[in-house]
Amino acid sequence: MIKLLKIEYQKIAPYKTFWVLFGLYFAVLGIVIFGTQSFINEFFVDVRKNSPIPIPTVSLYNFPDVWQNITYLGGYFKIFLAVLIVILVSNEFSFRTIRQNIINGMSKSEFLKSKLLFIFTISLASTIFLFVSGLILGLTHTSYISLSKVFNNTYFLFVYLLELFAFLSFAMLIGFLVKKSGFAIGILLLYSYIIERILWYKIPEEVSQYFPIRMIGKLIDVPNTSLMKIFGINFRNFVSYIDLLIVLAYTILFVFLTYLLLKKRDI
Amino acid sequence: MLINEFLSCKKKKDVFLQKNNNLKETILSINQLSKHYGRIKAVDNLSLDIEKGNVYGILGPNGSGKTTTIGIVLGVINADSGSYKWYGNELTNNERKHIGSIIETPLFYPYLTAVRNLKIIADIKDFGYESIDNILKTVDLYGRKNDKFKTFSLGMKQRLALAAAMLGNPEMMILDEPTNGLDPQGIAETRDLIKRIASEGTTILLASHLLDEVQKVCTHVAVLNKGKTLFSGDVDEVLTDTFTIEIASENLSELKKIVSDFPNLNSISNEADKLIIRIKGKTNCQDLNSFLFNKGIVLSHLSAKKKSLESYFLELLSEKND
Repeated sequence: MIKLLKIEYQKIAPYKTFWVLFGLYFAVLGIVIFGTQSFINEFFVDVRKNSPIPIPTVSLYNFPDVWQNITYLGGYFKIFLAVLIVILVSNEFSFRTIRQNIINGMSKSEFLKSKLLFIFTISLASTIFLFVSGLILGLTHTSYISLSKVFNNTYFLFVYLLELFAFLSFAMLIGFLVKKSGFAIGILLLYSYIIERILWYKIPEEVSQYFPIRMIGKLIDVPNTSLMKIFGINFRNFVSYIDLLIVLAYTILFVFLTYLLLKKRDI
Repeated sequence: MLINEFLSCKKKKDVFLQKNNNLKETILSINQLSKHYGRIKAVDNLSLDIEKGNVYGILGPNGSGKTTTIGIVLGVINADSGSYKWYGNELTNNERKHIGSIIETPLFYPYLTAVRNLKIIADIKDFGYESIDNILKTVDLYGRKNDKFKTFSLGMKQRLALAAAMLGNPEMMILDEPTNGLDPQGIAETRDLIKRIASEGTTILLASHLLDEVQKVCTHVAVLNKGKTLFSGDVDEVLTDTFTIEIASENLSELKKIVSDFPNLNSISNEADKLIIRIKGKTNCQDLNSFLFNKGIVLSHLSAKKKSLESYFLELLSEKND
């Protein structure tokens, strides 16, 4: 396992495109997570001036709410990582290095395993980034801190990890399926942002609510803020087990389909 | 104590016997392999045995199924039917690690340097990095070892592929068109290198469309066209200038049946209203004529032609193209 991960690392270590995109991802993620509060504050300054009723201050960074808030925000940026995965997978096909890897003695399932390990590592890196950010933000913004308060709701981080892993497995499947990076990125974006969304409206809710991108996206729901409560909107502030199971099943399906593709096709 | 000694002796003997057996061991045996792409038959019922220590050439024009065959036996292309066995077993990763292969074109990560590319291969094969520098020196790329693969010329890429195949002193090397894209000097050097590797006991399977190359490097050859083996055997036997004799009689199929019993016969092929047969050794027309006469066949046509190998090879290929 360490060996496979080491090989993956050797492949990307001097690959500039990867590190630029990877760095950009964390930069954007950091700016958004650390900056949203002040953006909302700015916004409320204006709103309060014209509001007939008093609007309470919204704090995103209080323990334990911070975990849901930042994992929810972070979920929007997983597409960056998905594009990265698609590029790395389709590169193996366009350079035909997958063929050379296999000829040299890597089995097809080892090849798949190495990509899965890589996806997991990247998902984990992002999760750890959120964990550290959450700790910093929480500690600096919560007035009364207790250990249970800090770690309450940290399960959102695990759910976030699953959310990333599931989505990146989907990206990997597309990479293996399409093999050309530009084309694969196009299909990934098109499906995630347009095709499935159209289907949500065309197909009855009972069925379309279980579509993969929708399921992955709604694992962590929009956080409830006091503001939302004012408007009478109530989102889920918990994660449903059924959702977790369905997303897990989707992930297994994506990996299994990738395995079938790899096994049946000539490389 | 004694038992231990006995056991260790026995073990040594077993190892020794095994080594001796290995000398005549069939490394790769291909059995009636077929593969088609759409309507095109890339490999058609191909059978071939490769024994340890020999240098096998697969000779055939472009598109004759050489690369597909190699892809199949290395497990990257799925065959439609037929089977192949490595050391009498199914292909495993461990065996692949001990086979150094080049397929078609050099395949490397373009943004990685020569050394980094080789390190990845060494990691996959579970070998150390120690031999990398020496191998790069052997293929004359040491000076460019820290340059990216994409900056290499075709010849250098080909040499790096050869270096990759040599990594870890494999027992068997599969080289698909290893001199493609090299300049004349590079071609000569590569052929010498292959011969040197072979002389150290490495079994080599070399695919090439160059008759000259196979003649110079290989001990055995199989000539392939349209996915079919036209003939195979020792290079000295198959690829030497021999007599070609044209014969004809009233009943061609009868003639073909009888002439196939003729000793030293190399091949028979049909051409319009006559048979073309190749004979090895010093047999002459008289022997053939009296052999057939004794069998009750009277020839209506008999003519002997000495042909150069090159023209024979070309003729053989064009014949099968009809």
